[in-house]
Amino acid sequence: MATGSGALTFGLPRMHKEAGERRDFLPPLVATLADGGVEVLVERGIGSGMGFRDRDYADLSPFVRVVSNEEAFGADVVLTLRCPDESEFVKLRPGSVLFAMLHLPTRPRRVHLLRELGIEGISMDSITDDSGHRLVVDSRDVAWNGVEAAFDALERSWPGLTDPHRGAVRVTVLGPGEIGKHAIEAATKFGNLKRAARFANGGIPGVEVVVVGRNLTANDAYMRARLRETDVLVDASQRADPSVPLVPQAWIAEMPTHALICDLVVDPYLLHEEPPTVRSIEGIPQGNLDRWTFDVDDPAWDALPPGVPTEHRRKVVSCYSWPGVYPLPCMELYGIQLAPLLESLLRAGGMDGLHAEGAYHERALYRASLRAWLGDD
Amino acid sequence: MALSIGLPRMHKEAGERRDFLPHLVGFLDRLGAAEIVVEEGYGSGMKVPVRAYLESSPRCRVASYEDCLAQDVVVVVRYPGADTVRGLRRGTILVSMLHLPTRPERVQLLLDLGIRGVSLDGITDDLGHRLVQNVEAVGWNGVREAFKEIQQIHPRFAHPSRRPLRVTCLGAGAVGAHAIRAATRYGDPRLREEMVAARVPGVEVTVADFDLTWHENYMLSRLEQTDLLIDATQREDPTRVIVPNDWVAALPQDAVIVDLSVDPYDFSVDPPRTKGIEGVPEGNLDQYVFYPDDPAYERLPPGVRTKNRRIALACYSWPGLRPKTCMEVYGGQVEPVLRVILERSLDELDLENGSYYERAVARAEVSRWRPARAR
Repeated sequence: MATGSGALTFGLPRMHKEAGERRDFLPPLVATLADGGVEVLVERGIGSGMGFRDRDYADLSPFVRVVSNEEAFGADVVLTLRCPDESEFVKLRPGSVLFAMLHLPTRPRRVHLLRELGIEGISMDSITDDSGHRLVVDSRDVAWNGVEAAFDALERSWPGLTDPHRGAVRVTVLGPGEIGKHAIEAATKFGNLKRAARFANGGIPGVEVVVVGRNLTANDAYMRARLRETDVLVDASQRADPSVPLVPQAWIAEMPTHALICDLVVDPYLLHEEPPTVRSIEGIPQGNLDRWTFDVDDPAWDALPPGVPTEHRRKVVSCYSWPGVYPLPCMELYGIQLAPLLESLLRAGGMDGLHAEGAYHERALYRASLRAWLGDD
Repeated sequence: MALSIGLPRMHKEAGERRDFLPHLVGFLDRLGAAEIVVEEGYGSGMKVPVRAYLESSPRCRVASYEDCLAQDVVVVVRYPGADTVRGLRRGTILVSMLHLPTRPERVQLLLDLGIRGVSLDGITDDLGHRLVQNVEAVGWNGVREAFKEIQQIHPRFAHPSRRPLRVTCLGAGAVGAHAIRAATRYGDPRLREEMVAARVPGVEVTVADFDLTWHENYMLSRLEQTDLLIDATQREDPTRVIVPNDWVAALPQDAVIVDLSVDPYDFSVDPPRTKGIEGVPEGNLDQYVFYPDDPAYERLPPGVRTKNRRIALACYSWPGLRPKTCMEVYGGQVEPVLRVILERSLDELDLENGSYYERAVARAEVSRWRPARAR
């Protein structure tokens, strides 16, 4: 134990939610932990979705052991990107720390269960710097992967995209926030730098991106006119009221028939909640890592909850986890973002050593803890 | 051996009001700094009393500029200049925005003098993303000031019957992203809320990158419909103008230009370097708004065409407009850098296998900077 973190063990169980989920933490992050002198228990098969073998991890250090899912969950600190199903919480030991995307503000049942089981939590999505900016976030890949998928689909379906005599491609981005800012840049590059270079070499004009925020999206006349001039509509909005769609069905009818909708928000339909949640762009299906492109005659439209209007359709790209489309760069980024935080956690010797007035990363970790969320201290 | 820290002020222009905040002094105290020496008047530009620094550490004292520079580690945001650096003793660690890639003469000077420069702008993560930066303030401060000008000249700025304001942003990179967001909010979230409440149509931001900005017909049409033109480009070739002065004529007479890229004019090289929008003056914290009749236009190099003018805003250091907010950001960002410097000798930093910030500091240290670039 090099840094005074006692007998801490870290467990890295895999994510088994669906076949398309190929992400696991990569060897460099595991090496960071092992170099800190802690025992790291990685679940058998870790990294296999990205071409890694167990021995790529085991060979890193004598402190790394390949174990079963249950053993990985039995560690002092359980590190996993997505929050495990609540049914899996019983695998964690009371007093252990679940370090994952816990989404504490919107998951009261999860908070209650963790508290009830005596499990500490650090929520990756709540780790922010002193100005409130998230430190563990892959919004760039949300935007770039989504916009790339949009232009992939558009290139297949709209010959005009590659016509050197056309005007600028017109992209409308709803919401200039954290995801929107990356979507804007991605859109100016056709979602892919190689495609942008290929088009530029062919003398094909670029992309004009028009960005509108809340002070215009509520303007019916403006939005109808804008959508008539839109080849790709990108939804990167953050609605104040998720029970009201930002783009109602009637507006979709204004869009050119070749136009495409790129859904980066991926809010679910929760019609039976009170208040209900509807999708930001009304009447579009939701995709996943197995399938994210939907033509207008796709059966997915018919699978939407009854009562959701779908009369006006345009091709849609939508995926609940856009970063997972390219798992390796996604996990490289998360590894880089998590490394200094885990080093801080090691230096602090675990959860009890974290303080609200600690150094930069230490206080960021503290603020993201379940105990801080609940105001326990 | 515990190191002493010097925190000198920045004296480049009267408008420069930034100093590190007392929180950093407290942090350095907890790290075990031998002494923290702040310059007389430190924090006064932000109305932070000097006692706030003294109360943050019993090892903090107030001294002259020269005394601050005599400490083991000197921390100052902006590079203090060659003359000051020549006065540092050999082995001093200078933590500052050194801009090593574009200042070869500075690199050589630091190496010749044996100054261990750690370039804050060169502190990056393993993907090359800067860890000490405040591009958000560049975007927001510049755009906020531009909208103040528009507010003054637009007769129906706050009237519900006016059309949406039209902003054109050149560049969609890091600065552009913040500028775009700021523009959709008039650069001021409170003003935006007032405008939404009054049902005043908002702001439409159109973004064009290099694969459209070369297209003269497109650009002239776009400029004709622009109330605010933002330059947030990062040009690979700073000798090539993006908006020649002739094109500025296409802008409405009451349009405003804001320069966020802040590239300088340099006619001492061939071909000369120029701003992305030709004819925009160079501003600083003392003056960053230029009306068409401002004498600053006459002071530009003779090769710069300035015939077509609009209200233009440019500032070498946009974050400095809100000094306290800026230094809160920088303070938090430099803490882990200083932790590395105070806990380990720079010679011991492991560029390959060291901790996250150890690697970052090693990459930004001047004596290793060239080898790091070559890797």
